Amino acid sequence: MTPSLRRLWDRYRSASPVTISLLALVLGLVVGAVIIFATTPAILDAWRGAFHSWGGPGHALKVTFDNVGAAYRSIFTGSIVDPPQFWHSVTTGRDWTASLTPLSETFTYAIPLVIASIAVGITFQTGLFNIGANGQAILGGVAGVAVATLVHLPMVLHLPLTLLAGIAGGVVGGAIPGLLKAYTGAHEVIVTLMFNYVASYFMLFCLLSTPLQLPNQTNAISRTMPGGTQLAPLFGTASGLRVNYGVVVALAVTVFALWLLNRSSIGFEFRITGANPHAARASGINARRTLVTSFLISGGLAGLAGVAWVAGTTHYIDQNFLQGSAGIGFTAITVSLLGRNRPIGIVWGSLLFAALEVGGSNMQANTGIPYDLATVIQSAIVIFVATPVLVKEIFRLRALRAESVKVATAGWGS
Amino acid sequence: MTAVTADAATVRPPLGRTQAIGWFVVVVGLFTVFGMGVGTGSAPHSTLTFTPIDVSQGAPWHLGNLTLPTEWTLVLLGALIVALGAEVLVRRLVKGAMVRVGLMAIVFLVAVLVWASRQPGPSQVPFINVTAILVGSAAITMILIYGSLSGILCERAGVVNIAIEGQFLGGYLVGEMIDSATNNWLLATVGGVVIGGLMGWLLAFLAIRYLSDQIIVGVVIVTMFTGLASYFNSWVLTPYPNLNNGNIATNLAIPGLMKIPIIGPTFFDETGYFYLMMILVGLVSFALFKTRWGLRVRAVGEHPQAAASVGISVERTRYVNVILGGAVAGVGGVAFAAIQGQFTPSITSGFGYIALAAMIFGRWRPSGAVAACTLFGVSAYLAYNLQSYQVPISTEILLMFPYLITIAVSAGLVGRVRPPAADGIPYSRE
Repeated sequence: MTPSLRRLWDRYRSASPVTISLLALVLGLVVGAVIIFATTPAILDAWRGAFHSWGGPGHALKVTFDNVGAAYRSIFTGSIVDPPQFWHSVTTGRDWTASLTPLSETFTYAIPLVIASIAVGITFQTGLFNIGANGQAILGGVAGVAVATLVHLPMVLHLPLTLLAGIAGGVVGGAIPGLLKAYTGAHEVIVTLMFNYVASYFMLFCLLSTPLQLPNQTNAISRTMPGGTQLAPLFGTASGLRVNYGVVVALAVTVFALWLLNRSSIGFEFRITGANPHAARASGINARRTLVTSFLISGGLAGLAGVAWVAGTTHYIDQNFLQGSAGIGFTAITVSLLGRNRPIGIVWGSLLFAALEVGGSNMQANTGIPYDLATVIQSAIVIFVATPVLVKEIFRLRALRAESVKVATAGWGS
Repeated sequence: MTAVTADAATVRPPLGRTQAIGWFVVVVGLFTVFGMGVGTGSAPHSTLTFTPIDVSQGAPWHLGNLTLPTEWTLVLLGALIVALGAEVLVRRLVKGAMVRVGLMAIVFLVAVLVWASRQPGPSQVPFINVTAILVGSAAITMILIYGSLSGILCERAGVVNIAIEGQFLGGYLVGEMIDSATNNWLLATVGGVVIGGLMGWLLAFLAIRYLSDQIIVGVVIVTMFTGLASYFNSWVLTPYPNLNNGNIATNLAIPGLMKIPIIGPTFFDETGYFYLMMILVGLVSFALFKTRWGLRVRAVGEHPQAAASVGISVERTRYVNVILGGAVAGVGGVAFAAIQGQFTPSITSGFGYIALAAMIFGRWRPSGAVAACTLFGVSAYLAYNLQSYQVPISTEILLMFPYLITIAVSAGLVGRVRPPAADGIPYSRE
């Protein structure tokens, strides 16, 4: 091996955080492949008769690889780029919309994910769990749609006001667990988990009530946000690409989070409290205020994620808004862990997970394998990231430089 | 949690909180008297009936209807709540305050029912079927108790099992599939034990061997199994609907006892899972607090270093308990399937988390958990069924109630509960 290759090998063996994350991705895809293997009728049928004839196992193996390969290929082509289609555009200069749609979709899905994951990451850095990002995002979306559809203003004011309303909705959602924990000691995990359900029903209530519901409708569906309050497509409506100015919002949030966590005194207090609450208390940091502030900022950002999604893509909300597998709260937790709760890491993690989700839908369209597989792969990745020692043992890496995801938590109680 | 909040809780005088709770109870009582009771209009009355809606074999002995004047009943119930609050305030109860709040909740729920069913009134249902309410609540309570027992088994050994929701879902899915395929609930139960145990093992493996954060791993396991269940639902159950045919288990009535009015249909005309739950409650209580095994488990949960120094294997104890806990929650999932029928994704709707809250409310004791689960179960059932009385509250708001009550309860607990000392803290020998 040449010296440079050897250095690369050594770097691989030294188990840096990046190595661990990449290997976790590989392991996550392996888990997904095993699940496809165990549940796809075509593969199981091929294996059932495989040992009755010569060449049977070979055929069954081929069927397995074909199916798993097709699934993963459509995840890739659906979320990043479809090489033949792309080559067609490069050579002929036409159909760029079709070639760029996968990337555009990935970025579109990454917008709320970046914002919500940073929201979760900020509380993790403070040593708190915000499992209620989904509920806060729902409140943000509802508040944003309410301001957008019920208030009439020129666009210069209306769009910022809509986004601010989203933040305000999220702040309300973050204030509840924050204040309850600070003043009554209620554990934020229980409160935020329950609050997700409360927020969902609250949204349903709003969507079925007079001012917000689309007139002359019995279904739970809101009015559509007027054009002046939407986050316009980045390359113009004519481009046919859904990626929108939410990218700018997400970037701004990332910069804000970098400043907050690394440069501001509040962020310093957050991190000290998260790293060692005793030391924080001893050095005169007001634990209660830090806790509440962290939850308010986190809730506000989660609310912004909700409103950014509505304003950027659907422009209205219905009963399925952020429900079930469309929810971003739990994905945000996994992304935040994947990015080690740091803004830059979270951006990369969001792009990866958004790609998995977008690609998952493409996989379902092409092969029929349900896109929920993406959720399973994402969770598996995070389990491996959260247990780096396991990854190290599987791949026989040498030293472990990557510290495990550190969040200061312990049981319940006071 | 951390010492910071613990200190904050001890600095505060506990009396202030007790007074707040006392006044809260008094206000609820006054609301019952003046908000709902006084002035309900032209002498309405409320009727209670006791005949169960459906029974497997033969009805219990008949009880006549009980007709009450709505106004006076509400005033009486409200006065009872005020008295409970006054007792907290006057006797400065610190320890018993939450018990009074629980009693208040039950009396208040009864008052709401009496008020909602008044005739003449807006209600379409001109009576309150006490037995039907208890039977319905018992079903929800049973599910929650399974979850709470699972939590107790894990947390007494020092591992937080937040994955109960996922274990419910796993047990539900597997139980439903096995029962649909074989028409045998016994096999389904075994399936639930296996899947729950496996999920418990996964949590234990990551939390004990690799010292991962238990809440994070638990949450991620729930996310993973929610995805997996949805995947299974559309990839396996939709093409093979005969694997999800939604049979429910038949009731096994206990002869004689089932004839007792009210109590019979509620406790002695149930599915096998209900009796199994009652046995498990007794078993876990006895095993944890009366046997050597239980002492060791609790030692591991309170002070693993001390337990290790006298020769108890902390790792093994925790493994065994988390797997047992997972298995119990898995059976809970099967029981869920046995009363609810067809599987749909997100059918467990947060019951695993509510069970966890009930466990905390019940102070990590089976008896306490049973009381807390009953409170949650009754309120959840009423929230789901109060719509039929045309109460002037929209359905969506009613459906929030179980979750809101859970939040309120966990906010009211402050400084009153003490988890096992080593709960949630990874143990390493070094």
